Amino acid sequence: MYVTIVFLPLLGFLVAGLFGHRLGPRGAQIVTSGFLVIAALLAMIGFADVALGGHEYRIPVAQWVSSGELDFHWALRIDTLTVVMLVVVTVISALVHVYSIGYMSSDPHNPRFFAYLSLFTFAMLTLVTADNFLQLFFGWEGVGLSSYLLIGFWYERPSANAAAIKAFLVNRIGDFGFSLGILAIFLVFNSVDMQTVFDAVPDHAGSTFSFLGYQLHTLNTICILLFIGAMGKSAQLGLHTWLPDAMEGPTPVSALIHAATMVTAGVFLVVRCSPMFEYAPLALDLVIFIGAATAIVTASIALVQNDIKRVIAYSTCSQLGYMFFAAGVGAYGAAMFHLFTHAFFKALLFLGSGAVIHALADEQDMRRMGGLRKALPLSWSFMVIGTLALTGVFPFAGYFSKDTVIEVAWAAQSGLGEFAFVMGVAAALMTAFYSWRLIFMTFHGAPRAAAKVMARVHEAPKIMWLPLALLALGAFASGFLFSDLFVGDGRAAFWGSSISAHGDGVLEAAHHAPVFIKSLPLIMSIGGFLLAYQLYLRRPDLPGKLARTFEWAYRFLLNKWFFDELYDFLFVRPAFRLGHFLWRRGDEGVIDRFGPDGISKVVALLAARLRRLQTGYIYHYAFAMMIGLALILTYIVLQEGGL
Amino acid sequence: MRQALPNLISVYPELLMAVGAMVLLLAGVIRKTPSIDRLSRLSVLLLLGTLLVLWLLFFRLEGRVVTFNGLFVMDAFGLFMKTLVLFGSIAAILISGPYLKEKQISNYEYPILIVLATLGMMMMISANDFMSLYLGLELQSLCLYVLAAINRDRQRSSEAGLKYFVLGALSSGLLLYGISLIYGFAGSTSFDALALAFADGAPTGVVVGIVFVVAGLAFKISAVPFHMWTPDVYEGAPTPVAAFFAAAPKVAAMALVLRVLFGSFPELDEVWRQIIVLLSVLSMTLGAFVAIVQTNIKRLMAYSSIGHIGYALIGVAAGTEMGVQGVLIYMAIYMTMTLGAFVCILNMRSRDGMSEQISDLAGLSERDPMMALALAILMFSLAGIPLLAGFFGKLYVFLAAVNAGLYTLAVFGVVTSVVAAYYYVRIVKIMYFDKPVVTFERPESKSLSMVLTITAAVNSPLSFILIGPLVQWAAVAAGALVP
Amino acid sequence: MIAALAFYMFAGLAIFAGLMVVVSRNPVHSVLFLILAFFNAAGLFVLLGAEFLAMILIIVYVGAVAVLFLFVVMMLDIDFSELRQGFQQYLPLGGLVGMIVLGELLLVLASGLGRPEMVRIPGSGAVRIAQDVENTAAMGQVLFTDYIYLFQAAGMILLVSMIGAIVLAHRTRPGVKKQIIADQVARTPAESIELIKVETGKGVKM
Repeated sequence: MYVTIVFLPLLGFLVAGLFGHRLGPRGAQIVTSGFLVIAALLAMIGFADVALGGHEYRIPVAQWVSSGELDFHWALRIDTLTVVMLVVVTVISALVHVYSIGYMSSDPHNPRFFAYLSLFTFAMLTLVTADNFLQLFFGWEGVGLSSYLLIGFWYERPSANAAAIKAFLVNRIGDFGFSLGILAIFLVFNSVDMQTVFDAVPDHAGSTFSFLGYQLHTLNTICILLFIGAMGKSAQLGLHTWLPDAMEGPTPVSALIHAATMVTAGVFLVVRCSPMFEYAPLALDLVIFIGAATAIVTASIALVQNDIKRVIAYSTCSQLGYMFFAAGVGAYGAAMFHLFTHAFFKALLFLGSGAVIHALADEQDMRRMGGLRKALPLSWSFMVIGTLALTGVFPFAGYFSKDTVIEVAWAAQSGLGEFAFVMGVAAALMTAFYSWRLIFMTFHGAPRAAAKVMARVHEAPKIMWLPLALLALGAFASGFLFSDLFVGDGRAAFWGSSISAHGDGVLEAAHHAPVFIKSLPLIMSIGGFLLAYQLYLRRPDLPGKLARTFEWAYRFLLNKWFFDELYDFLFVRPAFRLGHFLWRRGDEGVIDRFGPDGISKVVALLAARLRRLQTGYIYHYAFAMMIGLALILTYIVLQEGGL
Repeated sequence: MRQALPNLISVYPELLMAVGAMVLLLAGVIRKTPSIDRLSRLSVLLLLGTLLVLWLLFFRLEGRVVTFNGLFVMDAFGLFMKTLVLFGSIAAILISGPYLKEKQISNYEYPILIVLATLGMMMMISANDFMSLYLGLELQSLCLYVLAAINRDRQRSSEAGLKYFVLGALSSGLLLYGISLIYGFAGSTSFDALALAFADGAPTGVVVGIVFVVAGLAFKISAVPFHMWTPDVYEGAPTPVAAFFAAAPKVAAMALVLRVLFGSFPELDEVWRQIIVLLSVLSMTLGAFVAIVQTNIKRLMAYSSIGHIGYALIGVAAGTEMGVQGVLIYMAIYMTMTLGAFVCILNMRSRDGMSEQISDLAGLSERDPMMALALAILMFSLAGIPLLAGFFGKLYVFLAAVNAGLYTLAVFGVVTSVVAAYYYVRIVKIMYFDKPVVTFERPESKSLSMVLTITAAVNSPLSFILIGPLVQWAAVAAGALVP
Repeated sequence: MIAALAFYMFAGLAIFAGLMVVVSRNPVHSVLFLILAFFNAAGLFVLLGAEFLAMILIIVYVGAVAVLFLFVVMMLDIDFSELRQGFQQYLPLGGLVGMIVLGELLLVLASGLGRPEMVRIPGSGAVRIAQDVENTAAMGQVLFTDYIYLFQAAGMILLVSMIGAIVLAHRTRPGVKKQIIADQVARTPAESIELIKVETGKGVKM
């Protein structure tokens, strides 16, 4: 059954990809969506079997490579952690597939889109069911590749292009850390099999290895490397710049990849490796710090963005930060719980905003929206449900998960935990503010769109409502239904051995937090709502005045803390310059550098004459070879030293 | 008189090729108007026949067979490398047809020279003595010089041939100098004897000799700083010739590097490792950064091949059986990637003739989706993106380096591969996301499409199936070289 | 004693001649110095007792190769001094690199001399020749038995260089009128004479 879940999307991809032209758009839609709905139903059965029934499986799929010390199997690791992710991925993916039938109806490349969606789902499922790190890496890169294809799906737009490339390259940096991490794991444990590695972790606690003359703490190093990979994929501070740009992709893609599934892969990785992270205190501290910093920084950026999808994208970064610091303090269950609920309400928000964008003929700028509540009552109600869940209002899902996350940060009773707690509470205020700002700017107040556009505003087709309704249900109910299992009293039986129980005390302590602490997030949430209400509904002139008064702060936030500019300055340009340098100076003019002044002129003159004789720059080449030889020779002779 | 005929069984493939090449040459001379197409077909048949003989032979041989007074060796390592080289040469002949027709190159000697070059490479791979090494190398190089200049009416082609020749002569000089130094200190040129003689250390003179020999060989694999000829020659030589240069001779020269270092100086690994590490680091850096600013795709491929040689050298530097295995896997995968990419370059034919500008690839995904897909797979594979074959190559050499304790080198390799990914992905971006400028008219050729399909297929995620057997075979081959 | 003196003379002259090949301004002089270098090398061979090689060197290199060089240099009017202009500019760096390598090699040589005995390998690879066989015969014996592989390989190389020369230099010029006697002899009346019956008043159309 689990094999079927994983491979149904692949089958869908192959059918839609290879026979898309013959099937036509309708056929491709039915095949891929149908397969995913089946997969989602199977995943729910699996959830009942594994998470509630307490079974765990390891299903071998294929013997892969076996030579010497390298022994890779392709196997599925099915435990509670996996099935939680399976449910999230397949359910959201199935809903997005169905939604896309309506959303992408006018796009000429329909089969291609659905094929990519299915491919992505397959890669994501490979990732979450991985039994060894190499397999995990394949899924990891697979989702990267398919998200690259999906972000750049509208390739006529140059910005979509740039965004796709950016996402790909930024992720490469993360992957670079990740691949080094896997190499290090192989080096230390001589295996990439998860179970083997996790079993061997306690033996290596506190051990060190030397690199470039430094003694490094083994597990800290490995975990930090892995976390760099997680940062790339989950858009954490430093490597977050690709996510908002990735909003250039079609909205269903944003909902699936950039809210519910792919970006949570980093959190999944940390939780999956929890047995290892437990022994890497420094890495955990880093996770808390980066998580908390991301939560606050990206939330502050979201305060002033005007693109409706970008606001939600930054909000996603921020919520991922919550998940990370929850994992960092050891409350892996809380992190997964927030991941689980977040998937529903964030997908809902994205798909709802997609409906608005669809209705307004692809307008994404909130400054040209407003007053849409009358025209789009259904969209409005769904968005409000999503917002209530996101801002953590009782009894919506976010209330349970987010509160738990903030409480565990408080309960950690450490310096960094304190920091995370404060940041989390502040970010909660900002979250409420920007979420309601989004609702008010989009649906309330006076219409700011052109009259012609307003006249044609219409609700989306019916096929788009079904997924939205189901997601709304999830956003409403997933909190109180599962709270007990994920973080409550049933948690030990629920998680079994799939996550480390080491940090369980934190969760326990969080349950006994004072009422003031418990109610703080809710207070913040209400505060944010009131603030937004005041600024955007009662005194719409105030935001402009504020922006003018605090011009520098506004600019700073609007330009996203100048991260892109900084990277451009620090990395992108130097790389280009280095390439030019090595080419012009190093490769074509190496001789000029060494010779006396004026030689370059002679070289140019000589070159002109020599070219007539068809000898080109042979002089140079031969000379470079000899210099290289002389240098190597000198080095070796000096090394030998036996003279 | 002094002894009976040497054991000829293990040289049957080489004998067949030598005789076959001469027969083909005669056929070409005797016919008044020899058709290059027919001779190409016959050459391919000859190479396929050689491949068959090679494999049949191998089932008869047991272990390592040394013949001709210790000059020639046949083992599992040789079988692996020879198979690669033969495939590379066959592909090179197959993809040449349309280009030669387009450029009106009618020298029927073209396929015969490729066959003779292949013979030289097989002799290199089987060399067990510096003398046979040198003769094999020269046989191969001479053919390559002529091939580079074969479009003699075009200035660029002649220039490429001449450059390659002069610099090649220089590198041969370095190699010979090194060999004579080693001979002077050891009194023998046989690899087996050298391994025995230097089992516990060697005088500095021999170390200097090794430096010269490695420098001479580094020229052939175009490792930095002996790479300068590569971009010019790739750009100037006819495209199918450049494709050939990038594939089979690189494999053969890498085989030589392995044979010399592991065959004759296995105990001096501390010495030569330093040289190899240096060459590897320089090659990876230059290959990654300089390729970023290239606009001509043949030059880009030249720098890319320099970079890839750097990665393969990581495996050599490891100095272990696992390292050799990594190199073998890397070279096998590298060859398919490069050949495929060059077929795509050969396909870039617009109404105004052949194009070599990267910018002309813009919008290829609309004009020719199949070729764009194939090229995208190859580029991703060259970049070493997981799921594709190129990743496995890198994985094995990096693992070998880590196992051998060369962390820094492995980390360096990973860093440069991140940089290098940029320009490969840029090509994909140009194909898929830019507005089309030029429409290509792919030459009608079944053999071109066939080579492209095969190379793209083995680099696609299908490689999952193929990688297992390849790894095992490479392990056997590596085991034959490193006892 | 005389042998030692002769060795140093030949060796010294060979190095001197080699240097002059590179530095002399007139290309014809360069070739002449090259010939001198060959002669000295031949002298060294004689000292080693390899008179056959010495003669071959003189006949092939001096008699054929160097003379060919001379012809080419004299026929092509290349202004070598112009080509040489860069020489001065590159001399400092080139000289430096050369001196470094030379210094290192001398050091290595010195370290080698310090050892009482160089590493010698018994048996494998090297071929032992019986003392009473003279060296021309010995070379023949070795060349066609122990080193037959190398001999054949060298043959292939020569074949390739021949092919290469033909491919790159030989062209058939269309439209050149040449007497081909074989064609003339092979001609038959049947293919050169045509009998046409001419009808009256019609004439013949050619």
